[in-house]
Amino acid sequence: MLAAAQVLISGVALGCVYGLVALSFVLIYKATETVSFMQGELLMTGAFGALGLHLGAGWPLGAAALAAVAGVALLGAVFERAALRRAVGRPHLVAVLLTFGLGLMLRGAVASVPAAAQETYRLPVAIDVVQLGPLTLAAGQLLVIGATVLIAVVLALFFRTTRVGLALRALSEDARIAALMGVPVARMHTLAWALGAGLAALAGLLLAPITFIHLNMGLIALKAFPAAVLGGLTSLPGALAAGIFLGVAEALAGLALPEGVKDVVPYVLLMLGLLLFPRGFGAGAAGAGR
Amino acid sequence: MNPFLKPALVAFASVVLSAAQAASVTPGVTDREIVVGTISDLSGPIALLGVPVRDGMLMRFDEANAGGGVHGRRIRLVVEDSGYDPKRAVLAARKLVQRDQAFAFIADMGTPVVMASMPVIVDAGRLHLFPFSPHESTYLPLHPLKFQNFAPYQTYMEAATRHMVQAHDYRRSCLLYQDDDYGLEVMKGVEAALGKLGRPLVEKTSYKRGATDLSSQIARLRGADCDFVVLATVVRETVAAMSEARRIGWKADMLVTASGYSAQTHELGGAAVEGLYGVSVLPHPYAEGANRQLADWIQRYRTRFNADPNVWSVMGYTLADMFVRTAEAAGPQLTIDRFARTLEHMSFTRDYFGSPEYRFSPTDHLGNRYGRLAQIRNGKWELISDYLK
Repeated sequence: MLAAAQVLISGVALGCVYGLVALSFVLIYKATETVSFMQGELLMTGAFGALGLHLGAGWPLGAAALAAVAGVALLGAVFERAALRRAVGRPHLVAVLLTFGLGLMLRGAVASVPAAAQETYRLPVAIDVVQLGPLTLAAGQLLVIGATVLIAVVLALFFRTTRVGLALRALSEDARIAALMGVPVARMHTLAWALGAGLAALAGLLLAPITFIHLNMGLIALKAFPAAVLGGLTSLPGALAAGIFLGVAEALAGLALPEGVKDVVPYVLLMLGLLLFPRGFGAGAAGAGR
Repeated sequence: MNPFLKPALVAFASVVLSAAQAASVTPGVTDREIVVGTISDLSGPIALLGVPVRDGMLMRFDEANAGGGVHGRRIRLVVEDSGYDPKRAVLAARKLVQRDQAFAFIADMGTPVVMASMPVIVDAGRLHLFPFSPHESTYLPLHPLKFQNFAPYQTYMEAATRHMVQAHDYRRSCLLYQDDDYGLEVMKGVEAALGKLGRPLVEKTSYKRGATDLSSQIARLRGADCDFVVLATVVRETVAAMSEARRIGWKADMLVTASGYSAQTHELGGAAVEGLYGVSVLPHPYAEGANRQLADWIQRYRTRFNADPNVWSVMGYTLADMFVRTAEAAGPQLTIDRFARTLEHMSFTRDYFGSPEYRFSPTDHLGNRYGRLAQIRNGKWELISDYLK
């Protein structure tokens, strides 16, 4: 029982990271109708950015983390201005390949730093152990869960109460009408890419205490994408919930099911989820909504 | 006669002649140099091994060249980066065979890379020496051009598991393995060892390559009440498994394969990996407590590459050293066949790195089959046994 509780919390923490990356997918998709295949690379770049500023340039960790997230967000905006903007109105494949290519370039850029290509690092944050009754928890996991809750609240407030947030939502409902109402569509697209990139970088920083910082840490996006799909690709709370759901399912299946079955479980659940909730968790049960 | 025909005929004849001449000399060997190729991983998932191996080889070849070369020939190492991608490896092999005319391939890196490129190399009649792929097909069935220095994981892990279980009298042995050929290979070794001792493998659980969190696997092994866990993991997962176990207060002994025997394991893992056992096929070159020759070598490596050497640097250096010594022994009339037949009678005694003895014969092209046990004590690997026969 205790083991199950321990594993459950690990699953929630990892699921939060899946959820955050899924959020970044959804944020971009909603505003620009583009599926970004560079979220994993943005995540990795963010983590390495913070690491480089902290260990390489000697910045305090907090400042390095902030600068890395801001830097990657800026990078997202630059990518949008320079390249992705030109894919609007073209077939979906154009944008997909464009993001894929930009991702490869990012990866190549990071890999060209020998210290990054050859080593694995650990960020010196939240490496302690917290005793909570009979449970022994890693501070890193609690940090991830806490930060995810905080980010969810901040994003909810942003989309509900600020002008810019409302404009982004309007854009995702109907771009043409939003434009007629005076929403600056181009600027909003830039903002959406910047937010999506920054969120991925943040997820990378939160992943760092759980796992390590290395060139292939972006592979986690492969798990986050199903979460985004399961969440319906347009629902922010849905993406977060689906991410946590997948994380927990994966962890508990590893503990309880026979050897060899557990790797199939997230995908079986994904299929079941898509069958029962074809519009994703965010839209409720099949048939509901419309 | 057509006035253009005669020069054309002459040109044709000279091309044919020079082609025939080229065929009669050994590829990659001229009076002044020997071209050696390597297909490494400098940008992919195992670049952290590829780079130090390359640097180790470069250092040894440069030393040989500085000393006047091998029978007056300089050794030129041509490095191709496969990024651990078999397709790129095949292209690299063709390029090295055709354009660079490599005399031998040395220390090609990664099993998928080696499996894809080895046929190209061997079919072209070039030497395939000491690849970083612990796969039987790199030396069996016996082939005149294939030589290997590293035994399959199965061989090392069988001996290591047997030794550990006997010495500590473990009752409940378990296995955590990567869900691929590497993990299965280790599993075979562990099962064979336990089978010989008449003990069961109580629990085994796997993870996918690149997994980020091993908490459910560790909880499962703990639930099975294991007192000994063999880890078929690489560095990151080794640290993750040990950290998770120690975090939940579980103190079972763990033994990792040679893939986890790396200074990175204790650098990343810190206190959590203290007490971890590992299999070593060559000791890590620690500067502290090094013998004089080793300390001198470490200093030269640092000066040259501005980085600390690791066990992979030593491997690269050792393999290059074996090449140089064999080429020297083969005499000034160097041919591929003469090199191979010379290597078949070479034995390399233990050196200041603490390496095992490598010995080849006409019927056995695997240089060494033995690993030794090490344990992380006070933040560094300490050797705790000799090579286990």
